[in-house]
Amino acid sequence: MMLGTVWKGLESSAVGSFVAGSSWAFPTIECIHVIALVTVVGSIAVMDLRLLGMTSRACSVTATSRDTLPFTWGAFVLAVITGLLLFVSKASVYMVNPWFLLKMGALALAGANMAVFHLTTWHGVATWDANPAATPRAAKISAALSLLFWVCVVFFGRAIGFTLGIYEP
Amino acid sequence: MPSLSDILFSFTEWLRTTPLVDFAIWISNTRLSLTIGTHFWVIPILQTVHILSIAASFGSILMINFRLLGLNGSTRTVVQTVDRYQPWIWWALLLLVVTGLGMIVGEPVRELINPVFWIKMVLVVVAVLVSLGFQGSVRRDAARWEAAGGAMAVKLGSVGIILLWCAIMVAGRWIAYAPV
Repeated sequence: MMLGTVWKGLESSAVGSFVAGSSWAFPTIECIHVIALVTVVGSIAVMDLRLLGMTSRACSVTATSRDTLPFTWGAFVLAVITGLLLFVSKASVYMVNPWFLLKMGALALAGANMAVFHLTTWHGVATWDANPAATPRAAKISAALSLLFWVCVVFFGRAIGFTLGIYEP
Repeated sequence: MPSLSDILFSFTEWLRTTPLVDFAIWISNTRLSLTIGTHFWVIPILQTVHILSIAASFGSILMINFRLLGLNGSTRTVVQTVDRYQPWIWWALLLLVVTGLGMIVGEPVRELINPVFWIKMVLVVVAVLVSLGFQGSVRRDAARWEAAGGAMAVKLGSVGIILLWCAIMVAGRWIAYAPV
């Protein structure tokens, strides 16, 4: 009940009511959200496929990371900002939508997977940096999970758009 | 001075006078279209594959153009970067066409009698022609492209191509919001 008030409060905030009330704001923010999201997924896939040894085998893992990660993070920040703007316009409707909650879950799993990879597996990178055949199993599992979680994020995100009116707060 | 929505509205009115209407209605009565229409998840799944394909192609476009802009990839030459990413653009484009056709068959009137859809198609054709021209030029003139990395004309071209792909995505999303 308390939380329900919070979501309603977000909707009636200046930002929330502007995005909800404007004829162009929601679609425009959504466009930027899509551009940011495909940049996140596209650049992460480059890194994941390198870890799996399927592409960029002539590039070291650290060089591939250096070429992609700054753009992944920049686009991710943009996706979060635009996502929050979309969220506040219909916060209570999103919060009762199971696909929205699943998308947030998949995002959390993607983040946890990335954290585990960078905090543990990454320490030994010097020994397998340039040799795709030496990539440890843990790195490959992280890469495969990352691809899986991001595909889920995209599918759940799309499912939200098709089910928004179905579940009433 | 007519507004953008006035122009789009006139465009829609004109589309309604063309044989596209009969064509769209004919598609909507095919068995495939009726099947898609009665299976709720077909369109969301087609759209998901469409978006993932855009991620692959746009990610590749960014990697090639960031290399040309000197933003990354300095361990690889321009030709190596193009060889690495160009095939992903074409394979992703194939998936985009297949899933796009699926969406047209599923919702023919929403797509074909939609001004934004046709604007998007024109932009896609331009982007494909530019990509083919660029790819051919890199094949013919590799040395010049390696040396041209920092040139202002190349930088402007790179930014232009990135913006062109962004415009395609914006048009794609606005198909859903166009007044049809």
